[in-house]
Amino acid sequence: MNTAASPMQRFLAAELDLLGVLEVVIARSPKVLKNGLPNLAFFRAGNAALAQPDNELDGVGFGQVEFWLSLCRALELVAAVDSKLEVTPAADDFFALSSGERMEALRRAWIHSRDLNEFALSPDIELPALRKGRTVDVTWDVPSPERLVDGRRELINVIESLPGEMPLPRLLHALEREHTNLFINHDNDGSWRQVYYRGIRERGGREDVEREGNWELVEGAIVRLMCTLPLSRLGWIDFDDSTLAITPLADAPAEDPAFEVVVQPNFEIVALGDRPDPAVLWRLARFTTPQPDGRVRKYLLERKPFADALGRGASAVGLTDFVAGLSRSPIPQNVRFSLNDWAALSERIKIWPDALLVEAEGVEELAKALPATLLSTLSPTSLTGGHYVCTAPDASTLRGVMPPRRNALDYSRRLPPVIAPTDGTDLVAPREELHLRARQLLALVSVNRGTDRYELDSALVKQSAVTLGPEELLRRIREGMSRPLSAPLLLALRAWSGEFAPPYAGGAEVLLAENHEQAALLEELPELSRWVERRLAPGVYLLRPNGSGEIRRILEKLGIALRPSSASRRIAAPEARNDAGER
Amino acid sequence: MKLHLHVGVIETVDEATLNEALAVAGCTGRVLAKLKPNLAVLEREDAEKVIGALEANGLHPKVMR
Repeated sequence: MNTAASPMQRFLAAELDLLGVLEVVIARSPKVLKNGLPNLAFFRAGNAALAQPDNELDGVGFGQVEFWLSLCRALELVAAVDSKLEVTPAADDFFALSSGERMEALRRAWIHSRDLNEFALSPDIELPALRKGRTVDVTWDVPSPERLVDGRRELINVIESLPGEMPLPRLLHALEREHTNLFINHDNDGSWRQVYYRGIRERGGREDVEREGNWELVEGAIVRLMCTLPLSRLGWIDFDDSTLAITPLADAPAEDPAFEVVVQPNFEIVALGDRPDPAVLWRLARFTTPQPDGRVRKYLLERKPFADALGRGASAVGLTDFVAGLSRSPIPQNVRFSLNDWAALSERIKIWPDALLVEAEGVEELAKALPATLLSTLSPTSLTGGHYVCTAPDASTLRGVMPPRRNALDYSRRLPPVIAPTDGTDLVAPREELHLRARQLLALVSVNRGTDRYELDSALVKQSAVTLGPEELLRRIREGMSRPLSAPLLLALRAWSGEFAPPYAGGAEVLLAENHEQAALLEELPELSRWVERRLAPGVYLLRPNGSGEIRRILEKLGIALRPSSASRRIAAPEARNDAGER
Repeated sequence: MKLHLHVGVIETVDEATLNEALAVAGCTGRVLAKLKPNLAVLEREDAEKVIGALEANGLHPKVMR
C-alpha cells in the first residue's frame, strides 16, 4: 500500500475502476431488468474489469460494481434507454471536468446517494428480507436513505478530524462510544422493541443479531465497508486491508499521468503505462469498442462506434489526430486509410432519428429569419434546400428560442386534422396549418390545384390502395379530414380504391317469386337453379343470359305460365277482388 | 418557416442512396415528405427502422442523437 499517496493519486487509481464499469456499459449495452438493475452478465463483466475484483464465489456478490454503478446513476452518467443501459452525454461532460472536480462530484454523489445502501453491500452482514432490487418495505432497523446520508456526513467529519494513523478497531471503539447512533438509533436499547437488530443477521446466521454487544459487528461492518470503498477510493483516507490501518490523506499534488498507446494493424489500441489518464481513456472508449475484461486496457477500432462518435459531433480528423497524439509510433497505414474510409462512408447517409426540422418555405433564408438565440443554442445543421435540422431539444429549451408567433408541430402527438372535404372531389387544406402527415396524405390521394386546394385523383387513390390496402387508406383519409366525408365522396373513394366493385345499371333477366313458400319450392327444382346466377333477395333471382326463356319452358312443362308483367299480383289484387265480388 | 418537432430526417449524398436506404428498411411508402430528392422526413420509429436496417447490412450511417 502506498502510504505516501495523495487524495488525487488515490482517486485517479480508483477512477480506473469507474472507467472499467462504464467501458463494460459501452461494450455490452446490458439489458436492464424489471428491478432496474442490469443483468448478472454485466455484473460479472464489470467485476472482471476492476483492478481487484470481488470474489463471486464467497457469496458476497459484486459490491464494488454496485458501488460504482450507484454513483454513475446518481450522476446520470448512465441511463436505461429502450431497456438497455447506455452511457449518456453527461458522462462526456463528467470526464471533461478536471480530476479534482470529478473527485468532488463523486464524493457529493456518494454522500447524497439515496439508492446506495451500504448495509446491502457489506460482506459481513446480510438482510434476509432483501432479495431483489435492494429495497424492501418491511419493518426493519436498516436505516432510511436520509439517515444513511446523515451517517455518511458524520463519519466523514470524524475521519477528517483524525490526528493521524489509527487502526480501524480503535476507530470503531471510539465511534461506538461517541457516535453510537451513527446509523441506527440505540437510545431505547433494552426495551422489548429494541432487543435485536430487526432484519439484520450475521452472514450465514439464522437469527437477527442481538443489539447488546454487537455494535461493532453491525455498524462496524458498515464503517469498514465505507473505509474500503468510498472513503479510500474517493481519496479521504488510505486504508490498509491487512493491517486495518486508517491514514488520513494529506493534500499533495498528484503525479502527472504517464502512459502511451500502441495502435496495431489489427485495429487494436493497447494502453500501456502505470498511470493512465481516465479522462483520456474515456475519450478513446467513446469511439472504439472497449475490451475491459483483461489486465491490459484494449480498445478495438470499429466502424460503428467510430460512426457513432462522428454523429455525436466529433470530426474524423480530430479523432485520428487524437489517437496519433497518444501513440509514440505512427498509426499503421491500413488503420489510417480505414478511418478515413469509414468517415467518408458514414457521411453519405446522415440521420437525425429524433429531430427538430426547420423547414424553409419558398425562397425564405432561414439564416436571416431564425432568431440568433435559436442558432446559437441549438446549432442546427444546414440541409439541402436551405432547411435546418438539429436533435430535438427539450420543451423548455425550445420555448426559450422559438421564433415569435410560431408554434412547433409536435409529431410525438396526434396532430389536428387540417384537410377539409367539400361536397365534390375537392379538398381544402390551408398552407399555414398543413403538417407533414397531412401533406403525406394529400400526396397519396390528390393533386394540387391551387394554393390551398387539392383534387382527389382516382388513379392516385387506386395506386395508394394497392400499396397500403383499401381499408388502411380509408382509415388514413378519415383521420386526416377535419369533418366526416360526404356519402358521394365516400362512395367514390371506396369505389376508386377497389373496395367496392363497380355498380351496374341496365337491363337484366330476373325471376320473381310471389312469396317465400313459392321461392322455397322453386329453389328445389334442379333444372331451374342451373339458370340462376345469384339470389339478390328473398324470392328475387338474377338469371343467367337467356335464363328467362329456359325457365318459362321448364315451368310450362309443369303447366305453369309465367305472368306477363313483373308487377306483383298483390298490386292487381283490389281489382281482382272487385271482380270476384261482382261475380 | 415551419418547425417540425420529433421527426426523423435523412439526408444522403444523392437521390439513389436515399432510395436505397429507404428500400432496405422497407420505408419507401412511409416517407412523410421528400423536401428534396436526397432529403426525406419520416416518423421517428421509421427513422430508427432505417438505422437498424442499414446497420444490419453493414452500413453505418452518421447518426445524430
